[in-house]
Amino acid sequence: MESIIVSGNLESLDVISDYVTTAAEKANLDSKKTYKLRLAVDEIATNIVIHGYQEAEIKGEILCKAEFSDTSLKIHLEDSGMQYDATQKEQPDDLYKPLEERNIGGLGIYLAINGVDKYIYERHGNSNLNIFIVNR
Amino acid sequence: MEFNAILETAENTAKIILSGELKASTAPTFKTEVEKAAATNPQRLVLVMKDLSYMASAGLRVLIFAKQKMGANVDIYIIAPQEMVMDTIKKTGFHHSVKIMDEYDNDKVEA
Repeated sequence: MESIIVSGNLESLDVISDYVTTAAEKANLDSKKTYKLRLAVDEIATNIVIHGYQEAEIKGEILCKAEFSDTSLKIHLEDSGMQYDATQKEQPDDLYKPLEERNIGGLGIYLAINGVDKYIYERHGNSNLNIFIVNR
Repeated sequence: MEFNAILETAENTAKIILSGELKASTAPTFKTEVEKAAATNPQRLVLVMKDLSYMASAGLRVLIFAKQKMGANVDIYIIAPQEMVMDTIKKTGFHHSVKIMDEYDNDKVEA
């Protein structure tokens, strides 16, 4: 499946979601796996746009690519925003607490990492590479 | 599907009917309605999610905002969430802090 390149803004997130959903259909993922993969990619892409580009006042793009194998679907997200390694963020430890005592951050990364079979972050030069793997 | 958040207020109750996809680009609309709801000082906030097909963490953050803005004494009801939205609510432990129902009947809740 041909990769796509979109601008690093919130309007592009729907394009990425559509791409991921199409890839999931091609890989014959069921609706639950498709939803979770779309959510995982959406959460990380949202972080790239808001933290990696907008807050850092950097303009850039996001490359999205799907790779299929017999056993898995792999989605790559690549950007040139601020370095952001979600695997180094602590998972929220207040999920049992009432909402009024909750911290407002960290839920997106938690949903992303827990929504796919494997999540990998790599830094290559000035680029962040996020890889989401779902078993077929 | 286009996102919509429609606020209806009655005595003691603010109801927001959500439809479409709740995500980073649409959460500000939801937050605005929560702020309007909070301004009426309701005893309960009822969120109808039957037609909400997708909810990202941006939506969860508005729920935290709602609870923190309205106060711990204001009960939040989530009505008829779809399966995967419910999955997210459970995975993040939100089901411990909100009341989840298939349908909302004000008279029964008041009773």
